[in-house]
Amino acid sequence: MRDKVAVIGVGCTQFGDLFEKGYEELICEAAFEAYADAKVDPEDIEAGYLGTYMPGPGGGKSATSLADALRLYGRPITRVENYCATGTDAFRHACLAVASGTYNMVLVVGAEKLKDRPGRGLPRFGHPLLAKGNSAPGLFALAANRYMHTFKVGRDVLAKVAVKNHYNGARNPRAHLRMEITEEKVLRAPIIAWPFGLFDCCPTTDGAAAAIVCRADWAKRFRDDFVLVKGVGLAVTAGRPYFDPTFDYLGFRSTQDAARQAYAMAGIGPGDVDFAEVHDCFTWTELSNMEDLGFCGKGEAAYWVKEGRTSLTGDLPINPSGGLKSFGHPIGASGVRMIYECVTQLQGRCGERQVKNAEVGLAHNVGGPGAVSCVVVLGLAG
Amino acid sequence: MVGIAKYCAYVPRLRMSRAEIARAWGRAPSEAGEIAVANYDEDAFTLAVEASLSCVESVFQVPGGVLFASTSAPYLEKQLSAFIATVCDLPRKTLCCDFGGSARAGLHALIVADAMVKSGRVESCLVAAGESRAAVPESECEGLLGDASAAVVIARDHVTAEIVGSASISEEFTYFWRPTASPFVDAHTGKFSQTYGYVRDMADAIGSLLAEHGLGSKDITHLACHAPEPRAAFDLARKLGLDPKQQLAPLVSSAIGSTGAAEALLALGAVLDQAEPGQWVVAAAFAEGAEAVLLRTTPLVAEGRAGNSWSQWLAAKQPLPSYQKYLKYRGLFHENEGGGEVITNVLEFKELTQNARLHGCRCKSCGMVQYPLAPVCIGCRKAGHMEEVRLSRKGTIFTYTLDYLIANVEHPLPMAVVDLDGGGRIYLQVTDFAEGEVEVGQPVSLTFRRLHQGGGNINYFWKARPVR
Repeated sequence: MRDKVAVIGVGCTQFGDLFEKGYEELICEAAFEAYADAKVDPEDIEAGYLGTYMPGPGGGKSATSLADALRLYGRPITRVENYCATGTDAFRHACLAVASGTYNMVLVVGAEKLKDRPGRGLPRFGHPLLAKGNSAPGLFALAANRYMHTFKVGRDVLAKVAVKNHYNGARNPRAHLRMEITEEKVLRAPIIAWPFGLFDCCPTTDGAAAAIVCRADWAKRFRDDFVLVKGVGLAVTAGRPYFDPTFDYLGFRSTQDAARQAYAMAGIGPGDVDFAEVHDCFTWTELSNMEDLGFCGKGEAAYWVKEGRTSLTGDLPINPSGGLKSFGHPIGASGVRMIYECVTQLQGRCGERQVKNAEVGLAHNVGGPGAVSCVVVLGLAG
Repeated sequence: MVGIAKYCAYVPRLRMSRAEIARAWGRAPSEAGEIAVANYDEDAFTLAVEASLSCVESVFQVPGGVLFASTSAPYLEKQLSAFIATVCDLPRKTLCCDFGGSARAGLHALIVADAMVKSGRVESCLVAAGESRAAVPESECEGLLGDASAAVVIARDHVTAEIVGSASISEEFTYFWRPTASPFVDAHTGKFSQTYGYVRDMADAIGSLLAEHGLGSKDITHLACHAPEPRAAFDLARKLGLDPKQQLAPLVSSAIGSTGAAEALLALGAVLDQAEPGQWVVAAAFAEGAEAVLLRTTPLVAEGRAGNSWSQWLAAKQPLPSYQKYLKYRGLFHENEGGGEVITNVLEFKELTQNARLHGCRCKSCGMVQYPLAPVCIGCRKAGHMEEVRLSRKGTIFTYTLDYLIANVEHPLPMAVVDLDGGGRIYLQVTDFAEGEVEVGQPVSLTFRRLHQGGGNINYFWKARPVR
């Protein structure tokens, strides 16, 4: 599939507590920005993919939320839901649809309106007895505690990840949390699920993002600086890793497997990546991602963070957008938002947070935690 | 010979000081002592399960019957003896029966178990009594009631204390009561009830029992009695011609509060902890009359105890920091709804062996033990090689978190991934922990608790508890 699909337009709403906006309004904002960015007529869209964890009120478990929002009727639209990898997986499906030759131009939208929901935006479901008492922070904390116990990593390292991502997000006009924070503030914040304090956790956010992909040989008609899809990968492992006696809790195999697939398809290695948007739902997750994506060896991420190698000016900037930590995490939208960030970085449109000499970017989601991971590698043509 | 083969006590570790209760209501904190209080995830049933599991694990023979006694069972309609049998992983053909109505229910169950074994209906029988009663806040009753459970196994073999006989007195008398619609026990405490109710009926029952067996007061080594008001037990001992200092067993009500149907069995256990072979012991309980049981210890008496001794239970305690916590743990503020999905009767049925009996599966191809039940092995991915196995209730914390945000009665709520001894990994809540006890490498045991009350029913499941 390498170089067969191009991204010709992207859009992204302001992320945040969007109490005054509706789910379908967010979809429209993102999609029409992408239409304008690509200079395409909505009628030219042949198929659509909606990445969403919970559709808008009345949307049901279907793709109608996207169709109704855009009045995009009479053509195939598919809803994709795959934990926190929902957005990138929707993008992956859109790419596969184009690469197969079935459609020439496809719209992908990720959207989520968590703040309309009870329970701080996170739904509670799962087995009524087994694993009862689990929460998103609590599940990632299981891995963080085992990792920190094994590699002797302290909370101060986690705090450095939060400080860096807030620094980047403060330079991102569309980010949810646009303020810089100090390591001391992170460490003194109330605990959510040990070892995670408030600033170790991403917020629950409203937002939507969109991308338009088309046949690579058509891309030039729409713009010169189109971005090519180099590789995609998706891997699913145990959805209930806490019952797997062989799981070491030191990283996520789904990310390792998805990355391997994406690198192989792109014909590159982790060393060829110039910057990455990785799934920092919690500060520790970014450490694990760096290792699982092959940027550094197991247990080495803490040294990279301490040395500032992942900052905007480091040798491998990670989450120049501010990441989930600062940009926010509307579940289904996050992956498409990462595509938006990668594309605009590659096109040199990111202003204060622009990564220098960015030619290959990587987007990564992991959810479950660890159950599902999706990796996308994007690059400039030529 | 038929009698007690094993006995076990369980006292929840939380204590509320009577002085603190008095202080909360603006009274002078002059009242001495404390009451044992069930944790927020415990009730009369789970307390009885604790003692039952210890008893069942320590006997050679699978009990053919389970008798559960309580006045404070969490259900008015639902046979909890059957649930106890299930959690203890006993066979479906087990004879189960519930007893209630008064503090005599524990001894009633003991007497029926003795009769069932003597008749040959069952070879051995588990008797479990659990109590967790709420008194009207600010009432005199409030500092009197404590929570605990006791279990005994009645059998023909390995008898440590033979059940020799019993006697009853029954006549209407108002002392402790709780109408069906009330969550609170009420009582007419004081001199009248003690003298014309408790002492009169208990003395009549015990006196006739001793007379029937040709025994005098000097022959009795210990009187193990239910005594909701401790002072009355001393009056009773004196009326029977016993020396209260020498012959009266340690009073449960003085130590942890009156524990209703479990009280006489707990007092009996405290006596057996110290007893020597060939001693005569009387266990007795009062309510609208009295029940008295005569026992004689055998040469095996030192082998009867399962789990902690009475003095160990009294030492293993944790004070509740405030009266407000006591009210919260009694469930008087709100239910622990848990949020999210609730167990359905179909799901309960389908997953009963896994969820209640704690069965996992073992792959006959690669040997890996795993939980929950699954058709395909997580280790070698082969299908069709799984056999259902009983998992160990002991293990070690592999990793954990302390969750401060999750919907729960108390925070933090620790969650732990536990590797069970002998195989299987399970992920569950941690209860009865102290700060610093939830760590990687911490040994734990599994305990059956109220998980939440979602869906208008009580959802029970296993939790981990640090082993001290």
